Amino acid sequence: MTAYVVQRLLLAVLVVFGVSIVTFFLTFLSGDPAVLMLPPDASAEQIARFRSEWGFDRPIIVQYGNFLWRALQGDMGTSLRHGTPALPLIAERLPATLQLTVTAMLLAVALAIPLGVISATQRGSPIDLLTMTVALVGQAVPNFWLSIMGILLFSVTLGWLPTSGRGSVLHIVMPAGVLAIGLMALLTRLARSTMLEVLSEDYVRTARAKGLREWVVLSRHALRNALIPLVTVIGLQFGYILGGAVVIETVFTWPGVGLFTIQAISNRDYPVVQASVLILSSAVVLINLLVDLLYGVLDPRIRVQA
Amino acid sequence: MRTRNGVFGRWGGKRVSRREAIRTVAGATVGALALASMPGPSVRVAAAAGVVNQGKAVTIGLASEPNSLDPHLVVGRNTEIFVANVFDGLTARDASANILPSLATEWGFLGDGSSWQFKLRQGVTFHNGDPFDAESVKFTIERVINPDTKSPIAAQMATIAGVDIVDASTVVVRTKQPDIMIPNRLGELYGGMLSPAHTMATDAATLATKPNGTGPFMLTEWVKNERLVLQANPSHWRGPASVSQITVRPILEDAARIAALQTGEVDFIANVPYERIAELRADPNLVVKTIATPRVFFVSMDPRVKPFDDVRVRQALNYAVDVDAIISALYLGHATRIATAVPTAAFGYDASVTPYPYDPAKARELLTEAGYPNGFSVEFDSFTGSIADHSRPAEAIVEYLRQVGIDVKMNVFEFGAFGPRRVANQVSPLHIYSIGNSFFEPAWVLKFMMQQNLGLFYRNEEIYNLCNQAEATFDASARVPIYAKVQQLLKDDAGFIFLFQNDAVFAMNKKVSYEPRADETQWLYPLQSM
Repeated sequence: MTAYVVQRLLLAVLVVFGVSIVTFFLTFLSGDPAVLMLPPDASAEQIARFRSEWGFDRPIIVQYGNFLWRALQGDMGTSLRHGTPALPLIAERLPATLQLTVTAMLLAVALAIPLGVISATQRGSPIDLLTMTVALVGQAVPNFWLSIMGILLFSVTLGWLPTSGRGSVLHIVMPAGVLAIGLMALLTRLARSTMLEVLSEDYVRTARAKGLREWVVLSRHALRNALIPLVTVIGLQFGYILGGAVVIETVFTWPGVGLFTIQAISNRDYPVVQASVLILSSAVVLINLLVDLLYGVLDPRIRVQA
Repeated sequence: MRTRNGVFGRWGGKRVSRREAIRTVAGATVGALALASMPGPSVRVAAAAGVVNQGKAVTIGLASEPNSLDPHLVVGRNTEIFVANVFDGLTARDASANILPSLATEWGFLGDGSSWQFKLRQGVTFHNGDPFDAESVKFTIERVINPDTKSPIAAQMATIAGVDIVDASTVVVRTKQPDIMIPNRLGELYGGMLSPAHTMATDAATLATKPNGTGPFMLTEWVKNERLVLQANPSHWRGPASVSQITVRPILEDAARIAALQTGEVDFIANVPYERIAELRADPNLVVKTIATPRVFFVSMDPRVKPFDDVRVRQALNYAVDVDAIISALYLGHATRIATAVPTAAFGYDASVTPYPYDPAKARELLTEAGYPNGFSVEFDSFTGSIADHSRPAEAIVEYLRQVGIDVKMNVFEFGAFGPRRVANQVSPLHIYSIGNSFFEPAWVLKFMMQQNLGLFYRNEEIYNLCNQAEATFDASARVPIYAKVQQLLKDDAGFIFLFQNDAVFAMNKKVSYEPRADETQWLYPLQSM
């Protein structure tokens, strides 16, 4: 087990290092910060001066070297726009993003698993049909559209929920709800199909043959085995949820990393974009690491092999 | 204002009409904001503060928020237009862009050709109690022009050589060359005054987020991306603002910002898309206000490349484009057709110079005369993702050019990618651009447009010399005929396809009243709550 954990950890560090390279060079390919930082009527000399003051006129390899050296010391550079170190700017916004994504995740899981199990056990019934239709629609509808419709219905027309911002419990209902819908749809369908598969396994037949009550068969013998692929997908979907959070945070002005990153991208605030992508990708890598480790708990075969 | 004109004659310089000077400056500023997100003032009656003659709290929704409130480290128009609420410049402007006294009570050009004297308002203090005096002015200006400050706005102060203190309430600003725009440069956008003692004793991060100015509002709370709270400065020299507290909420998404106004979460919003104006006007609880910004759109033609060296071809292109149709279809009427690149609020704007009419037959005739009866092939660059929408008007313009037989290949870039092409002078012979500069003085914009760099290669020496002449004419009224001539020449020589200036749009509920300014400054002092 220790070797397994160490191997996974090393892999995670490599992935984050790779991400740093990709992020650094991609941001540079996307355009010149000087033209966006300076007023549109800036003269050529002003642009040249700005580029040299901030070091954008140096060869890109040299810039990457400096970036990496500083990053290893925990310094992601200074935000071009805010004039303060980029890393704390992102870190300050992480709690809001985690609040949103974890709420959405819990909401999706809490609804998807029971719904999937019910659909699987009552396959072909009206409940199954309804659940699957809703899941299909939930996966197909883009979440920015759902957000705007939600604002129109629940804020403007009904007046139940605030339109945007963060503060009370009411503020999180719409953003987390919208974010949860896509994931919930996916998980419900997955829970249903894995349950169907597991229910036809020999050990379930054996359990039933032993005369166990249906409830025990479902929860202890079927669901526990069905959870293994579900946990993988939930872990992988965390990255997806973070990506979705970027859109949702922007629509609802939820003051998290996503909103801040979008602003930084459109402002070409390179240090902030790089810090944010590194932090978000580290979060995804970390979650996947945890999922890998969780396998061991859920599936003794993995634990034993390792 | 008029009575103050000429007050400085005794200093031996030319007489300056403050009003003229200010108008000049103001016009240019307005443009830059145009389409970008301009946060507007909005008001929400959230809680009554209960102070005599004020006591109203208001919430406003803006499409962005300031990046920094260190007035020398502001980046981008949305921040520049906001700092005036916390800081005062030496001058200010009224809603129609006339220059007013602010921390300077009077000023004038000294006869030596390169300096301006400012008399300072006495008894003004910063929010922390530090006194405002000549030291503050010297410190502030020397800080912004110091290369170590790395100020993105340093370019606006590039003509300033230094500041001399005459006495505690008088300073002389020395310039490297005669500059008629010094009072404009030291106005609300870039001339926010700092306390030397406080600035030197405070670290950069604190200066950026906890500003200490002399302005009408004190910043009491700022949770970035969530809210920024302004409290009226009770000892402000203009008298305290009528609204005691303003909460500024950045709401990026247009639909969410409008919904917040409709539900009463905010009382005022800026950056209303043109498509939503009719719907909001139909709501009896809401008021929509629009104002022409000084952002002027134009298509640059490269006269170094045939056939744009021929004035008939350049005129033909101006006749070929139905600008009024573009305004009504794309801007739903919320733009103003202009004859040249001088916006209507600019100093010396001459309404008697009329725009080219839409006349495709005339365009073909001129092209034939110039030797291009079957048109010619050319590339046209436009871009997305800048402060304003350039690609949609560009598409329409390209289609009009095709209709008179010109074979146009259109390239659309992302602005971040287009910028380096401008710097490297790799733009196509035709490209769309817009300028909304900070000063309402036409010479400044026109010389920018004729700079022979950044893809702008048109230059008419006569116009350029007239602009130089205007910039050396300290008697504002004497600049008016110069500018009239400039505008006529600009139109006749057709160095650009002249287009329009667009409107800024604000919406508010009936609890609030506000008049947007021609320069788009988010000046919240006059905001009233019913």
